[in-house]
Amino acid sequence: MNPAADLRAEAEALARQLPNLNFKAEASEAAHIGSAGRRRAGTGEHFWQYRRYAQEDAADRVDWRRSAKGHDLFVRETELETARTVLFWCDDHPGFRWKGEGELRTKAEEATLLMLALSILLSKDGERIGGLGAGRAPSFGKRAVDRLADDLARGTRQTFPAPPRKPATLIVASDFYDPVPEWQARLAPLAAQCPEGIVLAVASPIELDFPFQGRVRLHRPGAGLSRIFGRAETIREDYQKRYADHQQALRDLTHRMGWRFVSHVTGTPLLNSAAALKAQIESFGARA
Amino acid sequence: MTALGPFLLGAPWALAALIALPVLWWILRATPPAPKDIELPSLRILEGAEPQEETPARTPWWVWLIRTLAVLAAIIGLAQPVYAPGAQNNTAEGSGPVLIVIDNGWPSAPRWGELINAATATLDTGDRDAPVHLLLTAPQQLNADPAERMSRTDAAKRLASLRPLAWNTDRKDALARLDASGLKPARIFWASDGLESGTGRAFAVSLAARAPLTVFAAPPRGPVAITGISSETDSVSVTLRRVDLQVTGRAFVSAMTIDGSALATSEVSFASGATEATADFTIPAAALARVTRFAVTGRQGAGTVWLWDSTDRSRRVGLVGPGAEAQPLLSDMHYVRKALEPFASITEGTIETLVAESPDAIILTDVGQILPEDADRLKKWIDGGGALIRFAGPRLAAQGDDLLPVPLRRSSRALGGALAWDKPQALAPFPETSPFAGLKVPEDVRVTQQVLARPGPELASHTWARLADGSPLVTADKRGAGTVVLFHITAGPDWANLAYSNVFSQMLRRSIAAGRGESADDGDGAYTPKLTLDGYGRLSAPGPAAAPLKATDFATTVPSEAHPPGLYQGPAGTRALNAAQGARPALISDWPASARLLGDAEARSLRLAGPLLTSAALLLALDLFIALLVAGHLPRLGRRAARRTGAAAGLMLAALAFAPHQDASAQSYQYELMPDGTYRRVTSGPTVVPLPGSENDPALGPALTMRFGYVKTGDAALDERTRAGLFGLSQVLIQRTSVEPAAPDGLDLLTSPLELYPLIYFSVPENAAPLPEHAVARLNAYLRSGGALIIDTRDGGDAGVDFRISRLEGLLEGLDAPPLQPVPENHVLTRSFYLLTDFPGRYAGRRLWIEKAGTASEPRGDGVSGLFIGDADWISAWAVDQNGRDLYSVDGGPNQREMARRFGVNLVMYILTGSYKDDQVHLPALLERLNDRDDGDKPIRLPNNIPDGGPQ
Repeated sequence: MNPAADLRAEAEALARQLPNLNFKAEASEAAHIGSAGRRRAGTGEHFWQYRRYAQEDAADRVDWRRSAKGHDLFVRETELETARTVLFWCDDHPGFRWKGEGELRTKAEEATLLMLALSILLSKDGERIGGLGAGRAPSFGKRAVDRLADDLARGTRQTFPAPPRKPATLIVASDFYDPVPEWQARLAPLAAQCPEGIVLAVASPIELDFPFQGRVRLHRPGAGLSRIFGRAETIREDYQKRYADHQQALRDLTHRMGWRFVSHVTGTPLLNSAAALKAQIESFGARA
Repeated sequence: MTALGPFLLGAPWALAALIALPVLWWILRATPPAPKDIELPSLRILEGAEPQEETPARTPWWVWLIRTLAVLAAIIGLAQPVYAPGAQNNTAEGSGPVLIVIDNGWPSAPRWGELINAATATLDTGDRDAPVHLLLTAPQQLNADPAERMSRTDAAKRLASLRPLAWNTDRKDALARLDASGLKPARIFWASDGLESGTGRAFAVSLAARAPLTVFAAPPRGPVAITGISSETDSVSVTLRRVDLQVTGRAFVSAMTIDGSALATSEVSFASGATEATADFTIPAAALARVTRFAVTGRQGAGTVWLWDSTDRSRRVGLVGPGAEAQPLLSDMHYVRKALEPFASITEGTIETLVAESPDAIILTDVGQILPEDADRLKKWIDGGGALIRFAGPRLAAQGDDLLPVPLRRSSRALGGALAWDKPQALAPFPETSPFAGLKVPEDVRVTQQVLARPGPELASHTWARLADGSPLVTADKRGAGTVVLFHITAGPDWANLAYSNVFSQMLRRSIAAGRGESADDGDGAYTPKLTLDGYGRLSAPGPAAAPLKATDFATTVPSEAHPPGLYQGPAGTRALNAAQGARPALISDWPASARLLGDAEARSLRLAGPLLTSAALLLALDLFIALLVAGHLPRLGRRAARRTGAAAGLMLAALAFAPHQDASAQSYQYELMPDGTYRRVTSGPTVVPLPGSENDPALGPALTMRFGYVKTGDAALDERTRAGLFGLSQVLIQRTSVEPAAPDGLDLLTSPLELYPLIYFSVPENAAPLPEHAVARLNAYLRSGGALIIDTRDGGDAGVDFRISRLEGLLEGLDAPPLQPVPENHVLTRSFYLLTDFPGRYAGRRLWIEKAGTASEPRGDGVSGLFIGDADWISAWAVDQNGRDLYSVDGGPNQREMARRFGVNLVMYILTGSYKDDQVHLPALLERLNDRDDGDKPIRLPNNIPDGGPQ
C-alpha cells in the first residue's frame, strides 16, 4: 500500500466516525446547480411540494395529474438543489512536510488527512471539491477525492496560488510560521474573492515545547537559515511567548478577513480537529 | 639507552613533548564540543530574538581526561620505553662481544617464550654496539656458527625466529663447536632449560671459565616428559616424570587418535617429593586400538607427547575364506568377523596365502578335512607361535583330522531336540586355569548341539570351557610355541546361541591372544619416517634431514636430527621413536659459584612502546566516537544507546586487559559400544531411542503377521480371483492347521517388500508382457533368500496335453530357475500334511514342476524347492467369497475341490517346514546311527528314500 492510498484509507476511516455534514448553505455566490438539496423550492430534480396555481404561473407549470383529482389547479414544485465549490490548499514547504523525531506523520500529511476526511464528507453531500491552484476544475464524486489527494500530494511548487476565478469556499493549511504581514499579503487576494475560508494551522509538539538544551544549532528545513544557541534552555520562555503571540496574530488576521481558524497539533487525536473543521465549515451555512 | 629506574628509554627526548600537555589542557577547556544539529521549522519565530546567555558549555571532564591520556600514552610510547628490571645490574660489564647460549632441545619447549624473552632482554643491556654471537646446544646440521657476528637488531630477529627442536641438547657437542670457532666472548648469557641431561653442570663450569656467566634457567614446571608406557588388553598406564618436587602437582593426560581427537583423559597427581607418576586409562579395547598417541593436556613440547606404535595392539587374524555365499548373514564366518572387527585386522584367503602372511591367529569354521600340504603349512606356522582356532560343525563332526586339540567322537550330540531327553545346556563357570577365567558366564546361552571329545586323561587339562553337564565346550592344546583351539560348537547360531552373546567376542579375543604368530623377522629391514614430531609436539611430515633407520638399531637409537621422534613405517608395521623414552630428567642443582643466576622477573624485559601507542590509538578512536555522539552524528543512537555503547566499550577494554587464561580442567568421557562395533563418546544428555514405526506402516503388517502374497498382474479380475483363492486357502489353513495367515496382500514386484512373504502366488494372465528386468532381479533375490514362488498358468487341459512351458519362457526371462522336474513319487510334498498322490486344482491330472533336488539348489537351503510351476488353476479351486462360499466350479466336483484344498495345505506346510517330514522318513536310519556309537569307522550310507517312513 503506497502512502497516498494509506492516507486515503485513514481519511475514509476518519470520515466514517463523523456525522454527516449538514451544509445548510444559503444560496450564495458560491452555489451552483447541483445535487445538494436546500430544503426549499427551487430548481432541482426532486419533488418538493404542490402549491395552488397562482395567476403569475405559466400554464405549462400546471401539474395536470394532481389537478385532475380535484377542482383546483396545482403546480408541482421541486426542491432547490445547489452545489458549493470547496477548494483546498496545503503548504508544500519542506518545513511543513517535516516531522519531529519519533512522530508518525509529517504536518503536511496530517493536514492532508484532515482535508481529505472533510472532502469525503463534502463529496458525499454532493459538493464540488478541488485543489486550489491545481490547474484542474473542481469536480463531483469519489473521483474528486482521489484527484484532490493527488493535487495535495503534488503541491504548488512552493508558491502561493492565485485566487480562483469563481468564488468558492477555501481551506488553506500551513504552519503559518512566516511573519503575519507576509501571510496577510498572501491571503488578502483570496479573501477578496472568496468570503468563506478556513485557515488550518498545523504544528508539531516539538515546535510548541522547544525541548532543547545545551549547545544546539537550529536550522529551518528548506531554508539556509540556522542559528547556534550556546544554551538553548535559556531561550525557551522567550520562544514560547513569541509562538503564542504569533498564533494570536494569525487568529486575528483570519477573523478580520471573515474566515475561520482551526489549529491542529500533530500526534493529538485527529477526530477532534476533524470535528472542529466540520463545525467551522457548517457554520458558514448557519450564518445565513 | 637511558635508564630511568627499571625502565630503559630508547628515545628520551620524546618526553620533552610532555611540556605540551598543559597547553593542550587549556585548549581543550576553551574549545567547546560541536553543537548538536537540530531541525526546527518554527525557527523563524525566533527571528530577532537574542539569547540572554551565550557562554559555551564546558568540555566534559571525562572527554578531557580521555584526550589527555591518549596524548600522554602517545608521547611516552614514542620515547620507546623498555621495562627491564634486571638491566642496570649488567650495565657495568660487557663491552666486548656477547655470547648468547640457548638450550633448544625438547625440554625447553614449555617455557620457550621465557627463554627467548630473557635472551632478548640481554640484548637491551650493556654496550649497544658490541657484537652478539649465538650458540645453540641442540645439534643440528645447519647450526648457528658461534663465530658469526651479529648486530643487536639482527640478533633480536634471529632469536625471534628460533624454534625448539624435538630432540635433546648435546652440550658437549656445543662446547666443541664453541672451541672450534675460537670465539673469545666478553660475557656469556645462557638461557638454559635447567636440566642436567648428562653434562649440564660441566657445561656451566666450562662456560664460566671463559667469561662472566649469567644464567637464566627455566626448567619446565609440572610434568616434564612421558617416559614410558605399559599396556594391558583394555588398560594403559603412562609414566610421567617431573623435576620440581616441592609441590603436589596435577596434570591431565589425553589419549588421542591419529586425527587428534581425544578419546579419554586421565588425571595424574604427583605426590610431594615424587618425580614419577602414572596415568591410568581404562579404555575398551576397540577404542584403544584407535589411540595413536598420549599427550599431556595443555603443554607443548615433544617430550610430553608419546607416540604409540602398533607393535602390541592390533592382532592380525586370518579367516579361511568362506567364498561367496548366497546368504552371508547366515554364514558362520559372519559372526566371527563381526566379533573380531573392532579390535583385530582381518584378512581372508586360503590357508596357503594366510600362512604366508603369518597372522596371530587363523580361524577355520567347520572344516572337516584339511588338505595334507595345507596341514603341513599350518603345523609349521603353529609351531612358530600361531593360534589355530577351529569351530565345529556338521562336516567336522563327520570327519575330523589331527589338527585338533583332543580326539573327537564321530558324530555330534544334539541336546534338547524332539527326540532327546536332555535339555539345551548352559555354560559352566570357566575353569580357573583357563584363559577365559574371569569372564562372566552369560546365563541365557544355551548349547543345543556339540561335537564330543573322546574321554581321556588329559582332556580335563585341555579344557578351557565346559557345559553345565561337564562336557567340554572349548578345548585347546599347545603345539610348539603355538596353540590349537577348538570350539565344539559352530561359530554361528546353528548349534548354540553363544554367537549372540558378548562373551563370544571376548572368548575369541582371548583365544587369539593365546598365540603370538608375530614372528616377523625384521632384522634386515629399514624403517622410514612417516610422521615426525616438531619441537612443540605437533605431528608433521618428516623434514628433509630425516633418514630411514635400520630395524636392528631401532631400540637403541636416541632421537636426533637424522632420526627425529615420530612414527616410522617398516616391515612389521609402524614403530614409534619417542623423544623422552626412558629419560630421567633432573635439575642442574649445583651451579658454578661465579655464575650469576637470574630470577624469573629479572630475566624479563618488556617493550612498552607498542602497547602504549596502541592504547593511545584506541583512546583517540574512543574520543572520536564520543565526539560524533555528542554532535549527534550517530543518528540511531539515542541517549540510552550511548550509555550502552559506553558500557560496551568499557567491557571491551576490560576484556583486552584481562586476556582469558586457558584453564585445563578435568574432563571425563563415557563410551558406548555401537552396534557396528565402534565406540562412540556419549554425552550425559538423554538418549533418543527411535520409536518403531506405527502399526499402519505397510511394511510392518506382513513382518508381524504371516500372510501370503500374490503378484498384481494389472488384470483386475484375475487379481481378485487370486486374492479370493489365497483367502480361501488361508481360511482352510486356519480351520485345519496351526498356520493362521492373515488376509493375503497384493504385491507390486517392483516396490513391495517381497522378502516378508513366505509364499508368493503368481497367476500368469493370458498374453502377459515379459516382466521388467528389475522385477525379475527382485524375484531372484527373493528365491535366493528362501522364498517360495508359485507360478500358475491356469491353462489346464486334458491329461494328455503337456504343459506349455513356452509361455513362461518369455515372461520370466532371466529368472534364476534351476533345473526343474515333475514332483517325484514320495516327495515330501505328498506327505507334508495329507497323504496325496495328485495335485489337482480346477483341472485334475496336471503335473506340478519343482526344482530338481541336487547340488544346484543346495544354496537355497536343504534342497527345499522354492519354485512351483503348474497349470492346474488351484486358485479357482480354492477361491471363496467373504462368507466362505465357493466362487468357481471345479471339474471334478466337491471331491476334487477338497483334494485341491488338501494340496494347498500340503504346499504351505512344505514351504513353512521344509524337509522336516523328510527327516522323519529317515527315522529308522537315525535310530540306527545313534546305536552306532564310536566303534564303527565305516561311513554310514543312507538310502535316499525309505518308502514307509512317513507318518500314516
